[in-house]
Amino acid sequence: MVDQIESVETEHSAVNSQVTPAVTMENVNKWFDDFHVLKDINLHVADGEKVVVCGPSGSGKSTLIRCICKLEDHQRGTINVLGTELNDNVANIDEIRREVGMVFQQFNLFPHMTVLENCTLALTLVRKKSRKEAEAIAMGFLEKVRIPEQSTKYPGELSGGQQQRVAIARSLCMNPKILLFDEPTSALDPEMISEVLDVMVALAEEGMTMVCVTHEMGFARRVADRVIFMDEGEIVEQNSPQAFFDNPTNERTRLFLSQILQH
Amino acid sequence: MGSLLGSQKSREIVFQALVLSVVAALLVAMVMNTRASLEAQSLTTGFGFLERSTGWDFSFSVLPYSISDTYSKTILIGILNTLLLGFLGIFLATLIGIAIGLIRTSKNVLFSFLGTVYVETFRNVPLILQALFWYAILTHLPRPRSALSLGDAVFLSGRGLYFPVFNIALWSVAVMLAIFIAWLFFLPWLREQMNHSSAYHSIKKIGWLMLPVIMILIGYYARIPDTPLLDMPALKGLNFKGGMRMPPELSALVIAIALYGGAYIGEVVRAGLMSVPKGQIEAAFVNGLKPIHIFSRIRLPLAIRAVLPSLTNQYVQLMKATTIGIVIGFSDLFMIISTSINQSGQTLELLAILMGSFLVINLSIAFVMNSINEKIAIKGYEVKS
Amino acid sequence: MTASTYQLPPQSSFSRKVKDNFFASPFDCLVTLACAVFFVAIFYYIIDWAFIASIWSSEDEPLCKEASGACWSVIDARHRIIFFGLFPFEEHWRSTLACVVMVATIVASCVPWFWSTLKLSALWIIGFGIFYFLMAGGVFGLTVITPERWGGLALTIFIFAAVSIIGMPLSIVLALGRRSKLPVIAMLFGLFIDFFRSLPLLTILFTAAVITPFLLPGWLQGDKLYRVIAGFAIFFACYQAENIRAGLQAIPPGQDEAGLTLGLTYMQRVTRIQLPQAFRNSLPAIVNQFVITFKETSIVTIVGFFEILASGSAAFGTGKWTVYYIEVYVFIGAIYFIFVFSLSRYGAYLERKLRVGHG
Repeated sequence: MVDQIESVETEHSAVNSQVTPAVTMENVNKWFDDFHVLKDINLHVADGEKVVVCGPSGSGKSTLIRCICKLEDHQRGTINVLGTELNDNVANIDEIRREVGMVFQQFNLFPHMTVLENCTLALTLVRKKSRKEAEAIAMGFLEKVRIPEQSTKYPGELSGGQQQRVAIARSLCMNPKILLFDEPTSALDPEMISEVLDVMVALAEEGMTMVCVTHEMGFARRVADRVIFMDEGEIVEQNSPQAFFDNPTNERTRLFLSQILQH
Repeated sequence: MGSLLGSQKSREIVFQALVLSVVAALLVAMVMNTRASLEAQSLTTGFGFLERSTGWDFSFSVLPYSISDTYSKTILIGILNTLLLGFLGIFLATLIGIAIGLIRTSKNVLFSFLGTVYVETFRNVPLILQALFWYAILTHLPRPRSALSLGDAVFLSGRGLYFPVFNIALWSVAVMLAIFIAWLFFLPWLREQMNHSSAYHSIKKIGWLMLPVIMILIGYYARIPDTPLLDMPALKGLNFKGGMRMPPELSALVIAIALYGGAYIGEVVRAGLMSVPKGQIEAAFVNGLKPIHIFSRIRLPLAIRAVLPSLTNQYVQLMKATTIGIVIGFSDLFMIISTSINQSGQTLELLAILMGSFLVINLSIAFVMNSINEKIAIKGYEVKS
Repeated sequence: MTASTYQLPPQSSFSRKVKDNFFASPFDCLVTLACAVFFVAIFYYIIDWAFIASIWSSEDEPLCKEASGACWSVIDARHRIIFFGLFPFEEHWRSTLACVVMVATIVASCVPWFWSTLKLSALWIIGFGIFYFLMAGGVFGLTVITPERWGGLALTIFIFAAVSIIGMPLSIVLALGRRSKLPVIAMLFGLFIDFFRSLPLLTILFTAAVITPFLLPGWLQGDKLYRVIAGFAIFFACYQAENIRAGLQAIPPGQDEAGLTLGLTYMQRVTRIQLPQAFRNSLPAIVNQFVITFKETSIVTIVGFFEILASGSAAFGTGKWTVYYIEVYVFIGAIYFIFVFSLSRYGAYLERKLRVGHG
């Protein structure tokens, strides 16, 4: 059993060494005041790879991906995103933010703008597209998430599932190379979870690099290249989905899986 | 009678009817008592006095005025003076307040401390004292002969601020104001009708460009014949003639209301900026927007919506605060009413006019602000942030 | 399998903190520098004007014309008028003592030990009673001094205390009345509150001072001072009632329902369950209303009372002191500032303390 795991890991590292990693985190440590929230995180995400991060609440998984798009700063270690190191240098922050998209648990759509305006805002201001171009691009992505008819509605007039799909379209409009998901379905009513997951599966099948924090294990099984289990700020175990779910090696992983797969 | 008081419901109704009749009786008693006291002092009642000429003068008026004008015109001038003072003060206070609010939410600790010092200084001293202070300073400025001047067109002296003014009929100014306000209300309505389309944006751009052109045309048409375009103030003898004069009474009050109101509005603006949910800023940040865009497109619009009810309250308070004008002799509505009461003795009627006017002014402010609030309110019944 | 490692965070150095807060970017450095220069310049100018180049004693008044600083001689010479108005000179000790007692009462009200209806009412009745009898005289062999002779800071404090002591219970009654289940009662109270809130304070004081003699029969007349205090108290009560009502509305309806199921009467529910929670909910607004009221006492000068603003104008209004209006206004402004700033800082402290406890 241990040999199986090792062979899977060497397979991954072989793949990694051939392609430029999208995200590299080495010995990353982060504290909130005195609370040590990320402990010696080492993580490599390859281009086109889909990584699912799971773990109990408070384990630091949200903080992990928030560090990748620099919503949080790390105190020790290095984070490399698409070949650029994340530090206090102001110039590179803008570039990173354009290449990395994020979908939030609370959607965070701008409530005073229509769905279309939400999507075209960054296109017109940052990518300097004309209004017509921006609207065409936005409508394209709104069709992709199957919600083009709501383009003139305001976020408050949509259901949670619809809002989250708009949020995904809004991120896609900027053509990111990496998409981060912070528990995208946790705030949704159960009947709306599948419509969002379908969109995410379609994105995965098109080859988007994704790092997704989620409790949706079915999604992980279907789409993930690698599943990571975090607990108390450390990466405890990472493996291919089959090995992870069928044969967890760590005691804590087993405990966590037994709790959430039970319902 | 027994069945009347039997059930809880009927007991409540009887009780309320009783209370109403007691209140009504009290009011009637007060009115009758007033009548009796007034008759005892042989003062007449009724609004007939409004047609009498006042026979007294006062310090400032937006309209041309003479001693023989009627009470009704005098009161109208009082209302206009109050409105002018109120609008000037509120406008400047809003500008100052926005600046202070921004300063206080700045990341630079020293800079935001500057804002804190301003707010604490001007908020903790009564408005009257501030008005008296500025009035004392402004009236101790040099005499007209040695007035401070800016480019030989604007003069500041102890008698007031003189500046040049266009020689156009007064009604045209009212027309321009009306057109501007109508345009401001027309835009959101049009945006709804045209469903945010690109055609709407083109119309909006053309409209804003045409507006100054229309204003200039109206101004040109309304020129007073046989006069130069600008009426310049010039020193003749001991005083200035021509141009428009802003008396120190008005200036002192405007300054005091602007500074005092600015401190309060600054706090309101700061609360609004801080109330924008952090998630919105983060989403904008992650979407690639630059800080200036995050501020102008996300933070500021959402802050304005959050702030509007408190702002309405502040505006109403500031408008009411104009009544302190009497302490430095500014002829606002209150001063005119109290002088009228002194001169004509028609106490109750004038008091009713005073109260009625303020009720109307405050209700109008509330109405306008609430309409704006509704227009820009965040739509939807399921707003998740 | 790794054991959980606990490492101490890297100490963010003081210089790092300074850099983030003051010098984060080149533009930031400029702003910090400009602010620092501005502050130092203003500070220097104020210190110079107020303390270094200023004249302090009233005998040195002739030096004021040459001096570039403040002429505090006017305060030295005229401070008695500012503080006590036209109160007889020999009795100034009574006025001082009365003010001290009242200030002590206000400070004591801020101490949580006093925060029960019984203790607060007792405190204020005793404090205000002492104040009144010290000023008015007539007991313990003190000479009688009628309210017309009261003035200056003492009068300001008296009006503030009287308005508070009358207005506070009234505001509770108004708030409860507006929330009555009986629609007519609620409507009447609502009209009353909205009517008085929409008018400028000055209008109400003016009406109370000048008009009410007409409206009320002869036996209901009082001294002008008491009429004005009554009007002011009603105005204060209407504003405070809205603050209390907001606090009442923030209580979850389940609270009152629980009281009902326990069999508590209306008065018990109101005094034991609703009002304590309402006050905790809107304490900042309630304290703020007191702060505003203290500032607004300055308005009574317009209806002809010799409170501190009027006495201040009188202080520099005569003879050689007329040019020193700035010093007098600054002095009075400082007095107000000390009172108001302390009260509002206290309000902010309360807000922080209650928020932590409440969760």
